[in-house]
This record gives sequence, structure tokens and C-alpha cells, in this order.
Amino acid sequence: MPPAPLLELRRLVKSYGGVRALRGVDFNLHAGEVHALLGENGAGKSTLIKTVTGAHAPSSGEIVIAGESVSGLTPTTARALGIACIYQQPALFPDLTVVENIALRLEAGATLRRLDWRARKVRAMELLARIGAAIAPDAEVRSLSMPEQQLVEIACALGAGARIVIMDEPTASLTQKEQHLLFAVVRELRGSGVGVIYISHRLEEIFALADRVTVLRDGESVGTHAVGDINEAGLIKLMVGREVAQIYPASESSAGEVVLSVREVGCRASGVHAVTFDVRAGEVFGLSGLVGAGRTELARVLFGLTPADTGEILLNGERVAISSPQNAVAHGIAYVPEDRRRHGVVLDLPIAHNMTMAIHPRIFPGAWLRFGAERSLALEFIRDLAVKCAGPDAPGGSLSGGNQQKVSLARWLATKPKLLILDEPTQGVDVGAKSEIHRIVRRLAKDGLAVILISSDLPEVIGMSDRIGVMGGGSLRAILPGKSDPHVVMAAALGTAEKGAA
Amino acid sequence: MSTDKPAWKARLLSHEMLLLYVLIAEWLFFYFTGTTTNRRGVIVGFGTIDRQFDILRHSCEIGLLALALTPVILTAGIDLSVGSLLGLCAILFGKFWHDAGLSIPVAAVLAIGCGAIGGAINAALITTLRLPPLIVTLGTYSLFRGLAEAITHGAVTYTDFPESFLFLGQERWLGLPTQAWLFLLVAVAVWLLVHRTTFGRSFRTIGFSPGGARYAGLPVNRRLALVYVLAGIISALAAIIYTARLGQAKADAGTGYELFAITAVVLGGTSIFGGSGSVHGTLLGVAAIAVLKNGLACLPVVMRMNAAEEMSGLLTGALLLLALTGSVLPKILSTLRPRRQPA
Repeated sequence: MPPAPLLELRRLVKSYGGVRALRGVDFNLHAGEVHALLGENGAGKSTLIKTVTGAHAPSSGEIVIAGESVSGLTPTTARALGIACIYQQPALFPDLTVVENIALRLEAGATLRRLDWRARKVRAMELLARIGAAIAPDAEVRSLSMPEQQLVEIACALGAGARIVIMDEPTASLTQKEQHLLFAVVRELRGSGVGVIYISHRLEEIFALADRVTVLRDGESVGTHAVGDINEAGLIKLMVGREVAQIYPASESSAGEVVLSVREVGCRASGVHAVTFDVRAGEVFGLSGLVGAGRTELARVLFGLTPADTGEILLNGERVAISSPQNAVAHGIAYVPEDRRRHGVVLDLPIAHNMTMAIHPRIFPGAWLRFGAERSLALEFIRDLAVKCAGPDAPGGSLSGGNQQKVSLARWLATKPKLLILDEPTQGVDVGAKSEIHRIVRRLAKDGLAVILISSDLPEVIGMSDRIGVMGGGSLRAILPGKSDPHVVMAAALGTAEKGAA
Repeated sequence: MSTDKPAWKARLLSHEMLLLYVLIAEWLFFYFTGTTTNRRGVIVGFGTIDRQFDILRHSCEIGLLALALTPVILTAGIDLSVGSLLGLCAILFGKFWHDAGLSIPVAAVLAIGCGAIGGAINAALITTLRLPPLIVTLGTYSLFRGLAEAITHGAVTYTDFPESFLFLGQERWLGLPTQAWLFLLVAVAVWLLVHRTTFGRSFRTIGFSPGGARYAGLPVNRRLALVYVLAGIISALAAIIYTARLGQAKADAGTGYELFAITAVVLGGTSIFGGSGSVHGTLLGVAAIAVLKNGLACLPVVMRMNAAEEMSGLLTGALLLLALTGSVLPKILSTLRPRRQPA
């Protein structure tokens, strides 16, 4: 008989009010295993983690840790049982050093006691060495990169004797190189007998790293497979419950009049210089490039957040000066920003308020609020974009990432824009919502909207765009036709094509 | 969690309703303990109509400042300068009337204009230099008071205002203290602004998420400027009724009022971090403090000790802390509750 699993969840149910977030999930994790957890946003992954880490108590079901049933789990007891969670955004104190942060996590006991700085430092260095992290123990956490901070978190978890490490989308903000570093650490953990629950939206990571994968859908486990027994298509099918026949909807629109014309536009403050391109009605103009290429910066220039100081911008053939976001909105430019939670949606305000935020003058003539009109507009968009929510009065923060993105999108569609700029619209969004967003974008283009699509997801930007602008170093390096070879796009982004042409 | 709770139940437990219960309890307590009959058999103390009107009359200035501060605090800002601006506008009003020989209405309009300029100075420093409101208004708090004292050399007091003007501060009109009508008018106007217009919506949005407001194309700086200029204007109005009530304009008018006003706003449920809150909550906060202060002065035991001021300070503080605790308590309880049930 094999040893009892490190962690076993039996018929785990969690309800919030009337909503059942988990409907009887079975899950187990063995020592020395990386078990990936996959599912659309809202499928119940976060809830599952919260119950395992003791943040929320399950409504029914059983949590069994190393063969023993545990009830009344709290964050403190969970930690004592060796459960640690590494979040996407490390929760360290930025102004303290690495040693201090590790010490804060690990040292319990009396308030008044002598601090042994030498021992603290030795232990921190040991822990960092164990995961092969070359981080100066005296560095302030503020000065560390995101992956380095994650490594410090992992060191803390190890120091606390964690046997079960949960990683919640740890690579979301990492570069390729940083990812490999993290993967090495995860394999290291696995080798030392730790069980890792690994949550990610990136399928290729799961195939590279995990031993088994469990897919959650609508609060239920729809299957656990050994990674070798399943392929990407199979996983996507499990997640969305249907075959995704064609990942990217075909372009049905034909480009019309030129809506936006950008001529030698630059902005010293944000490092954008001499950008020239046109976008036509009905066209999806993709913007590709590596992180830091200046795509978001260009969008911010076009939206008036950092106004252009050189060149000219023409809208429908007329020269316009876009000096502020209000100005941009007045000209029919809409911008769905990259940072949903900070800029896209005001999390504390109801969905309805969020959706009407950019059309105050139009829906509320004379500045008087009209609650009825607002509500019906919100209901219309909730239906139209299939926003999953409790209703128009639910706060934006209560929605999953994909649904927040739809609210952000609805706000801008309500302005009836001529030009829609989408900045990473599907980042951190699950597969189902992603393809919904793709279909919406296609539909908008078909209706004659000019769309600029900024995306770091290469297949997405290639599959969705009619033309692709490739940026690098703040300028536009190339404009390629849609459905270009990914290698060509990547080469342009890296600047190798330029050299080849010269 | 709270979504399946019936709406009426949530409403009865809202911060404003809880504060209303406290206010009623407070009022009843003072009604029964602070009302006595004197030797000639006349009812005196808290339970008289005159005393109630007195409370109302004395609440108007701090009440106006609290109304001025509610939109400011909703934007996650603060204005510490309102009390000092009250003093400066009172002095300017007296000077316009007494020294410049202008009529009372003209002097009043000019004083209100000066209040607007005072608010605009705050607004300009906050929006263009992007300095924190706390620091900016801490500066103008000293600046405005200093100006008032410089104008009067710390000695001049303007008095001998005409009867017709004192009517505003000392008499009754249509049954209520005259200035209460002005207070009521401003209260209704600010309530409509905050709760029924896009301006109020913008204040909240900025309070919750300044970045979100900017990315939504809301005119963040213009809205911020509006709340500070409005605060200046309302402070000047408070200065005028202050002068009318006391019959004199002096440089120390309204000293310390800003703290009472902030207390009333926060007691009324407006989050000091911005975003959430209400004007009716502020009014209840003002009333709770005013009733406490006046009720204590009527309590025999407090009268014997001659400690009404000290006691009211103490209890206002206690009430504020209690209200803040009360507003977070349901949240704490709701996180504890599920854990008590065995899984």
C-alpha cells in the first residue's frame, strides 16, 4: 500500500452565501510531486487554496493532512502543519532586508529578547543556498526583482518546514529566463520530498513541470491525469467543457476609411519616438514586442495620459491634440488599460457605476444621476458580454479577472468609440473568457470599430490582428501582415530583421 | 455573505442607522437626567425647547464645516484649514464692513469670495504641485490664522454690527434660529451634490481609486479643485453666521473647529481613506456631538464639577472610537462566524 498522501481533500464544499464555489472536490497531493491545478477564473482554484491554507473554513467535506483529518484549520495551524503559499505578488516588507523578512516569518516567541543577528544571517543564507538563489541577504527587498522576491518567499516556506507548498500563478510577471530559474527551484523542492500544488494558466508550464494535473470547472474536479497521458487540446477541452474548434475567430471585416493616423509621434517623458502608422475602420491592428518595447507607453500617449510632444495625430483625417484622457474620450478614443485592478475597474464601486464612468455627460445630462438609465445600461452590457455577476450592484472586486475585464470593456464600449485600444486584454484571464473576448473584439471590428490590440501573447496577436506593428525601444520597428510567421514577428521585436535588411 | 441578507435588515444595521439609534438614546438619556424644575416650578435644563434651539444654533458653524469637509474626505483628502479660514473670513468681513464702509451684503459676498480664494489656494497646491492635502492644509491652517492676526494686529475686534445683521445669528425666523435655515439650505445642496450628481460620483471614485478615475477620463484635478473651493466658500458662510451669533468678528474665531468637524464627519461614517460615506451620516455625527456637549452641560453632576468642556471632549473621543470600532466589528464577526461552525 502506498504511503498516505501528504494532503487529501474529500468531498470539499465551500459556499459563500448562496453561491457554491466548491461542490465536493476530491484532490490529493503526494510527497515529491508537483500537482498542477488548472481551471478557468472562477472555477474554484482560489477558494480551494483558501480552504487549504485555513483562510476560509470549508462548508463541508474533509481535509486530511498526512493521514490525519484536520478540522478548524486557521492560517496559523495550517502553517504549523507545514502548508505554505507563495502568491503571485510576494507579501514581503519592501523596506526591510532579506534577512529581516525571513527572520520575521520564522522567529516566534517573546517580544523582548536579544536578537542574534549573526544567527539570523547564517540561517537566511542557508535557506537561500538550499534553493540555489544568489541573493544578497542584506539587500532591501525593495531592490529585488519579482522572481527574487518569490525566491525569498520560498526560502521562508522552507525555513518554516513546509511540506506542502502552494504556488499561485508564480510566473505571471516573470520573464522567460526568470521562469527557468523558478522551475529549477520547484524541481529542487520536489526532489527534497515537498509536495507542490502549482497553479498556472500557461499550459506549456504545466507540461514542463508537473507530474499530475487536476482540472477544476465550476467548483468541481473534472479529472486528474498524469501529465504524460494528456495533451494541450485535451486539457483545454476539460477546462471549457467543449472542444475549442478554432482558437481565433476569423477576420470577417474589410478595412474601411483610415480612422487613426499617427505621424512621427514621440513623447520624451515616456520614451516613445517617431512612431508612424494608420489604423482603419474595421481593422484590428496588433502591437507586438517584448516587455518594455514601448507599447503601453504608446497607448498612454494616444490616450492623453502622457501627451505627445512631437509629431501629429489625425483622427478621421483631422489633426487633433490629445492633451488629457478627457480629451481623448471626447475624440472617441477608448483605452482598456493593462492593470485591470488599479486602472481598469474601481473595485469598490458597483459594476453599474464602473460601466457608466466614462459616459457621465451623456447618460447623466445636467450632471443629475439617473439610476434607472444606469441600471438598464448595465444590465444590457452584462447580458451582451455575458458578465458573470450577482447583478449590476455587485462591486467590481467581487468578479473574477475575466469578468472584471468585461466590465472594463463595457465601460469603453458605452462611449461608442471610434478607436478602441486594448492593452493585454486577456492577461490573467482564463481560456473560456479569453476566447469570448476574442469573439467580442472580432465583432466590434466587424461593426466598423478601429482596434489596436496590444498583446504579449504571440499566438494571440498573430491570430487576431489584420496587421501587426512590432515595437522595440520605443519605436515601431516593422509593420507585418496578419498571420505572419511567429519567427518573423519575434525577429522584428528583437531587432534582428532590421539588421538583416540593412 | 451579505448578499443573501434581506436588504431591509442590512439597511437597519447601516452605520447611519446605528448612529441614529445612539443619537436617540443619547437624547433620551439627557432628557431624563438633564431636565429639572427650578424653585419657581419652571422646567429648566436639557428638556426645554429653548435649549434644543440653542443646540441647533450652536451646531450651525461646526455643522457647516463638517458639510464642507464631507466631499473633501470622500476624495480621500483632508482640509485642516477650514477653522482658520473661518477666522480669516470673519476678520475680512468685519474689515470690509467697518473699515471699507461697505454694506453688509456686499461685505458678505466679498468675504465668501475670499473664502473661495482660500480654498483655491489649497486646490492649486494639491492639484498642480501634487502635494498631500494633509501637508498643504496644515500650512494654510497656520497661514490663514496668521493673516487674520496680522490684519487685526491680534487686538482689533469688529463689533457694533447692525440689528438687522444680528438677526441672522441671534433671532428666530419662521420658528427656527435664523442661521439654521442657512445651514439646512447648505445641507440639502451638499446632499444633492454628493448623492445625486455625477460630481458626488466622481468624488467617491477618486477616493477609492485616483488612478482608476484618471484612466476613466474623469477630470480628477477639476473635481479636486471643486471640493476644496467649495470647502472655502462654506467656511466663509460659517464665518458670517459666527460673526452674527457673537456680534463680533475676531481673529481667533473658529479655533479648533476643524477637529470637531472632522470628528463629526468620521463619526458619521465617512471613511477617512475616501470613497464611502454620506452627507446624512455627517449631519447625524454633528447632532450626536452637539447633543453630547450640551447635554453634559445640563447634567447636575457635571455642573457641580464645572467640567462640561472636559467631559464633552472625553466623551466625544470615546464616541468616535466606539463608532469606528462598531463599523469594523460586523466585518470581524463575519470572518469569525464560519470558523465556529464545525466543518
